[in-house]
Amino acid sequence: MPQVIAIDQPNTATKPATSFLGLIPGILLLAAVGYAGKFIEQFIARYGKSHHLVLPNIEYVLWAILIGLLIANTVGVPELFRRGVATYEFWLKTGIVLLGARFILGDIAKLGGIALLLVFIEIGLGLAFMTYLGTVFKLKPKLVSLLAIGSSICGVSAIIAGQGAIEADEEDSSFAIAAILALGAISLLVFPLVGHALHLSDRAYGVWTGLAVDNTAETAAAGALYSDAAGKVAILVKTCRNAMIGFVVLGYAIYWASKGQAAGIQNKAAFLWTKFPKFVLGFLLISLLASVGFFTKPGLLAIGNLSRWAFLLTFAGVGLRTNFRELTKQGVRPFLVGAIGEIVIALVTLGLVFTADRLFRL
Amino acid sequence: MPASARRVSLDTWAVLLSLTLALLVRIGILKVVPW
Repeated sequence: MPQVIAIDQPNTATKPATSFLGLIPGILLLAAVGYAGKFIEQFIARYGKSHHLVLPNIEYVLWAILIGLLIANTVGVPELFRRGVATYEFWLKTGIVLLGARFILGDIAKLGGIALLLVFIEIGLGLAFMTYLGTVFKLKPKLVSLLAIGSSICGVSAIIAGQGAIEADEEDSSFAIAAILALGAISLLVFPLVGHALHLSDRAYGVWTGLAVDNTAETAAAGALYSDAAGKVAILVKTCRNAMIGFVVLGYAIYWASKGQAAGIQNKAAFLWTKFPKFVLGFLLISLLASVGFFTKPGLLAIGNLSRWAFLLTFAGVGLRTNFRELTKQGVRPFLVGAIGEIVIALVTLGLVFTADRLFRL
Repeated sequence: MPASARRVSLDTWAVLLSLTLALLVRIGILKVVPW
């Protein structure tokens, strides 16, 4: 596992019970940081109300990320907490599945259909442009493949899936992951500012964020920083992108195998199933149950709130796992390629969103 | 088959936990979840 993510994979030799207990301190830290963010948001709102002051409403999302960043980049996350903090990705996926209850299948079909079309265009352009840039900057070919996979689909998970499939070096995937994470941290600040400056609607902003921000946790955070509705849409669009991971990684695996630099894929259907993110199916299942009236209205509210709690842990994890010192170790060129690529992808997808908004009224 | 391939994936655990929570809400054990 690359050092830059600062997330250690569980030791498989550890006994399951001990392994589970080892997660608890980190999960408690996620909860404490996330809840502190929520507390600060509510405290400021209450203080403003009681003192008749108009204070800016800064969402708990930003506070949770900032507190996490402060801890990670000052005292650091102690070893005892690291495995539990790494579960933020698990909470992200749990949050996404539960979020399905807040979507009616008809909405998913309508918005998802438009999103899929935009996702196809974004992936095609992203892969082509990143490959071109990587070649111009003379990066190693497999690093270029990983950067293209990471920036066109879904960040860290796609890079890790791609690394195994195309047999890239650990160092290459470490560089690609660091570049994607650093750019994700920057997009958390930039996207909401641009969205507000352009007066984007919640839906248009959500679609843009879902298309242009690479790592799913950062997409959820960048969306939620704008509004709750924008966060919902951003996650739906990003889920469409995530669903494409298997196809793109398979394409790259076949390409590198044809060059004799990776093992061939015998069973393509099995490969696609292995790489397919199963939480997408869970999301659709919960949405289906919600659409057919399986849950009562208070029940839907309860599931929606469970989803918010899961995201609260995720946002705390986004801050806690971002170590700026580690991110700067990647070298300038991969970051530059990633940054130029991301800026171009963000601008092109913004154009796509404006066009789609005109044509389909997002 | 290697042990790692037999392990249940993170995604699957997330789906199982979510479905369990949704079921607890449906049968009324988790009636109110404050936010």
